[in-house]
This record gives sequence, C-alpha cells and structure tokens, in this order.
Amino acid sequence: MAPLPGRGLAKGLAVTLRTMTRRSVTAQYPDVQPELPPRSRGVIGLLEENCTVCMLCARECPDWCIYIDSHKETLPAADPGARARTRNVLDRFAIDFSLCMYCGICIEVCPFDALFWSPEFEYAETDIHELTHERDRLREWMWTVPAPPALDPAAEEPKEVAAARKTADKQAAAAAAAREAAAAPAAVSPSPDSAEEQQDS
Amino acid sequence: MDVTPVRTSGTSGTSGGHSAGHGHGHGAPAGGPVPLGIPDPARPGAAVEQRRLGPLARLAPDPVKVVLNWGRRYSLWCFNFGLACCAIEFIAASMAKHDFIRMGVIPFAPGPRQADLMIVSGTVTDKMAPAVKRLYEQMPEPKYVISFGACSNSGGPYWDSYAVTKGVDQIIPVDVYVPGCPPRPEALLQGILKLQEKIAGESLAERYADGPDAAPAAPRVPDAALRRPLVGGPGSGPAAGASGAPRSGADR
Repeated sequence: MAPLPGRGLAKGLAVTLRTMTRRSVTAQYPDVQPELPPRSRGVIGLLEENCTVCMLCARECPDWCIYIDSHKETLPAADPGARARTRNVLDRFAIDFSLCMYCGICIEVCPFDALFWSPEFEYAETDIHELTHERDRLREWMWTVPAPPALDPAAEEPKEVAAARKTADKQAAAAAAAREAAAAPAAVSPSPDSAEEQQDS
Repeated sequence: MDVTPVRTSGTSGTSGGHSAGHGHGHGAPAGGPVPLGIPDPARPGAAVEQRRLGPLARLAPDPVKVVLNWGRRYSLWCFNFGLACCAIEFIAASMAKHDFIRMGVIPFAPGPRQADLMIVSGTVTDKMAPAVKRLYEQMPEPKYVISFGACSNSGGPYWDSYAVTKGVDQIIPVDVYVPGCPPRPEALLQGILKLQEKIAGESLAERYADGPDAAPAAPRVPDAALRRPLVGGPGSGPAAGASGAPRSGADR
C-alpha cells in the first residue's frame, strides 16, 4: 500500500508535541544562580593576614599575572642582645584576570594558605584595565569561599579537630570536677584527678 | 632620507629611550612619519577607522532613543566567532541548559553581514587576525563585540607566544570582556547582560561623533604606574623610599 501523503509531516508534528509538553531543562540563570559543584574554580581570593609576601605565587604563575609589591620594615629587637627584626609588608597584590588561566598553581603553591578558590564567576567588565583586581576586591571574594568539604566518614579525625576536642573535654572534666568538689567538700579530693586521667587517653 | 620621529622630548638615541613611550599611531604630526595604525597599548581598539552617523539619528529625541536602545539590545544577532575551547562554552551557552536566546541573542547568524554582535571566543592567532578584522569590518553598524575568555582578552595562557595576538582588542574595539579560561556559560550570560546595560545607556550620537559630542575616553591607568622608581631597602629608611625620587642613577 502506498504511504499516506503527509505521514512525514504528522510524525514530525508528533515529535514537536511531545517535546513541547515535556519539562524544559533550561536553567533560568539571572533569576536563579547555578548549582555549582564543590571546589568550583571561579575566581581567586586572598586572605591578606596569611600572606608573608614570599612571592611564590607570582613566581610560579605561568601567565605572570600576579603583581606583588612589598617593602621590608625593621622592628627593634625585643631582647637587648638580639638583632633588629625585618618584616615583609605587603603593599600591592593584584591579579590580572584578563591573563589568568585559572590553573590554580598559585593556590597550590602558597605555603601559608593565603589564596583560595572562590566559585564567583560574574565579574565581566567593559574595560580591560578593570579586570586587574587589587587586594580589596580579592578580599571581598574571600567571603564567597565555601567551607572545606567534609572528610570521608571512615577517615581519621584531623589533628586540629582532635586537639580542639581534647581541650574542650579537659575543660569540661575540670569544670565537672570543680562542681563535685564544691558539692562534696574535703573528703573526695583525689577523685577529680583519677577521673581526668581516665578521660585523657 | 631622514626618518627620525618628530619628538622633542630628548629621549631619542639613549638606551633608556623607551621610558617615556606611549608610542605609535597618535596621528600624523605635520610633515612627519605616516601613521601606520600600529596598535597603541594605551588605547585598545583605537586602530579602527572612524565611523559616521547620519544627522537624523543625532537629532532623535530621548524617548525615541530609549525605544531604539531597547530594540537594539534585545535583538542582538550574534556572529559567533568561535576559534578555540571557549567556542565550546559558547555553544553550551546557546544550547538548552543556558539558553541565551532568552536574552534576545540569536545564535548562528548566516554571516557577518547579517550580524550585530561578534563574540570572539578563543585564541586569536596572528594568522587569523586579518580575517577577524575583515569580518568585523563586514558587519554593519551598529555592532558590538564581546571578548570571551582569557585568550581573546589579552592572549591568556599564550601571552608569550610569537604567533598569538595578545588580545583581540588590538585589532577591533571590544565592548565587554568576559574573563575565564574558559568562562562558564553563565559568565557569558552575565557578559551579555552587561552589554545590554551598556547599550541601554548608549547615545548613538556620542558613539559616532568625533568632535565635541564624542564620549569622553575612559580614564586609563597611566603608564607611569607601571614604572615606579626603586624602593629603598631597610637601611635607607622610610623617608627616602617613599618620596618617589627617581633612583635611576644606575639606569642611565
């Protein structure tokens, strides 16, 4: 039997109807921010307090897009016999984002954890000179840096957290023991020490 | 023939001669060398020819200007000049998930002659540069350019290469620069929004006039900011270091 005329058109229109009734996957960007994965690399933030101006980031940057200026300040000696201390002070820290290729070498190489990835991506400019951002803007981006991702459930506890927890436990035990000593005075004085030693291990 | 440049600043001939340089292409001094249109780093995009606007557009009253700007910014037909990896992000931005047709930018113009917006995405090599300029010139006015990605902003990771044009704004004027390597598709959408804001505030008379009407040039970072004098060490004390007195005795 010869195919009915218009079959192709009907099939095509059926596809159109099916697609029209299906939900679209469009992410309405300006109204809704995208769901960025963790550790997204958007822009680089600087925590100035950690920076010692070692210049490793500027040296290792393959694009030479980090501009650092610093000067040395001399502080008088603390002890009478010691020499005067010199300290590096950061004057200027600028990253030229028109050149930056977002490789992250500066962040990896920084020994003092002064540079961080931030997922911000909305910083297009109309003038290329404005793409060189100074340390005030880099600090603003620090507030958008997400918290570090949680460790695996089976991993051992990080040392900083372990130290903080032990200190907190010790203080709690000391507080509990002080309360006990206050409640039952004089006769039970050895017991706070043995309780502390048991909890310390 | 005497081809020394007509300049009386007294720096010619010394080894430190390029310390005062803005360089080239400022317009012909009287009887001086022919301007070759060499790009001037202080004014990116200025190597392009002058544009002319008819008297009618100059006389359009403000409400009409608002309507015209509205029409122009929400109907940009885009000549996607995809050269390298950023083209993939551009294509992603044109597809279903981050659709830039929602913003009025229609992708895939048949050619430069039917396009309003040129999005240069990817590394512009010196071999491709004349083609970029030619296609830009084939676009009818009013036209806009978005430089998408680090390579077209300023050469990006290939800034040091012998074969790369360090930034497409050396050959064509750019309206918006989108940083990234490659930028997210949403970053391109934000760049388009920024361009639309720029067009909304645009006055065609200022854009095309060359004279008292012309828009004031954006303040540039002065070149002197890149050439500071040496900072004194800790022994010379803060006063000598901060005064900015040129310590280029070793230079000359």
